Amino acid sequence: MDLCCDREQQRLFAHLSFEITAGNLLLIEGPNGVGKSTLLQLLAGLITPSSGEIHWQNIAIQQQRESYAREIHYIGHTNGIKLGLTVLENLQLASHLALASIASERLSETLSRLQLENQRTKLAKQLSAGQKRRLALARLLLFRKPLWILDEPLTSLDAATQAMVMQLLEAHVNDGGICVMSSHQSIPFKEIEIKTLRLTAC
Amino acid sequence: MLKTAGWLFNIELVLLWRRSQEWLYPLGFFVIVITLFPLAFTPDPAFLQRYVPGGVWIAALLASLLSVETIFYADLEDGNLEQLLLSPLPLPLVMLIKLGALWVATQLPLILLTPLIGLLFHFTPQTIITLCISLLLGTPMLTLIGSLCVALTLGLRQQGTLLGLLILPLVTPVLIFGVNMVQQSQAGFSIAGALSFLAGLTAFTITLLPFALAATLRISMDD
Repeated sequence: MDLCCDREQQRLFAHLSFEITAGNLLLIEGPNGVGKSTLLQLLAGLITPSSGEIHWQNIAIQQQRESYAREIHYIGHTNGIKLGLTVLENLQLASHLALASIASERLSETLSRLQLENQRTKLAKQLSAGQKRRLALARLLLFRKPLWILDEPLTSLDAATQAMVMQLLEAHVNDGGICVMSSHQSIPFKEIEIKTLRLTAC
Repeated sequence: MLKTAGWLFNIELVLLWRRSQEWLYPLGFFVIVITLFPLAFTPDPAFLQRYVPGGVWIAALLASLLSVETIFYADLEDGNLEQLLLSPLPLPLVMLIKLGALWVATQLPLILLTPLIGLLFHFTPQTIITLCISLLLGTPMLTLIGSLCVALTLGLRQQGTLLGLLILPLVTPVLIFGVNMVQQSQAGFSIAGALSFLAGLTAFTITLLPFALAATLRISMDD
């Protein structure tokens, strides 16, 4: 694919081309404002490229929107959680939107893995920034999807949770999943190979 | 899918209930605008009986403008809109659920309050019933058309005034047939003509507008 994107009459990147296969992690790097989040939104199918196409299993994603939506987890830099709902209701909302039925034990297990079980009936707006991020990442644990698109998944997390998320990513990739993520920090993955894509201003 | 739709409808109502300003402000606004009519014109009961039903309609129109303005704002801010767009659920269905909940929370209370206002202004029972039916059929259209305009102007600064300019001309047919229905009934004519026009318009909007709304939202997010 040959990807090119313009935003607000400004060219962000052009002639970007890459392929990613099962069991791979693609890390997108680059300075602020270079278009990392935009690239991730493009990959999720939220915005359409100015030119070029994105294919998932050899079919353009615009042509298979619904089936593509079943395959991806997208967590943007906004968390995508409803602040007016409780922690538990947020997880239920996520599973309903994904058309997945989740057993209540699974919900409790997810909450305890993310150390949110004491907050389950708290409104999401009462949580700290790190807790909100954890709640957003809870979707990854709730149901399995092959492609994860994560925008700065490690921001505002404490060291222990960061380690946990990295473990989660390694397990996902070793399991044959794909992950595309952006990050500012260098990430010391031990067990898996990562590809890096450096975006530069153009 | 039906279970999911029901659950989503409930959770939308819960969200609206917890943000009480969403439904309390339009309700208060509606009552205050109506009480301005006898103050601005004359408190003569014959005049009020004749002209305030139209005033109730205008107040409902303005209140709907107020309630629909923020419909996508929170979802845009917290990123939930992206999750809705990426859900395998059909987006028009999600929008219909969302608007249905908004209508129940913001417009239904106005209609329930209308009989009380009718008593206050000496409306005949027949006028009250006709007015309520016309509002019941007309207000879903106000919510639907209003939200389409909100989706069109999504992400713009100071969209409030622009929204008024966009929405009000589009909803004039609703106002005309709604008020016409009440006038026909007051004059002792059959309301069938205006009623079927209004019902037809509502059926048309409810079936087709969610699709237009879904497409508009996708384009607005993809600016």
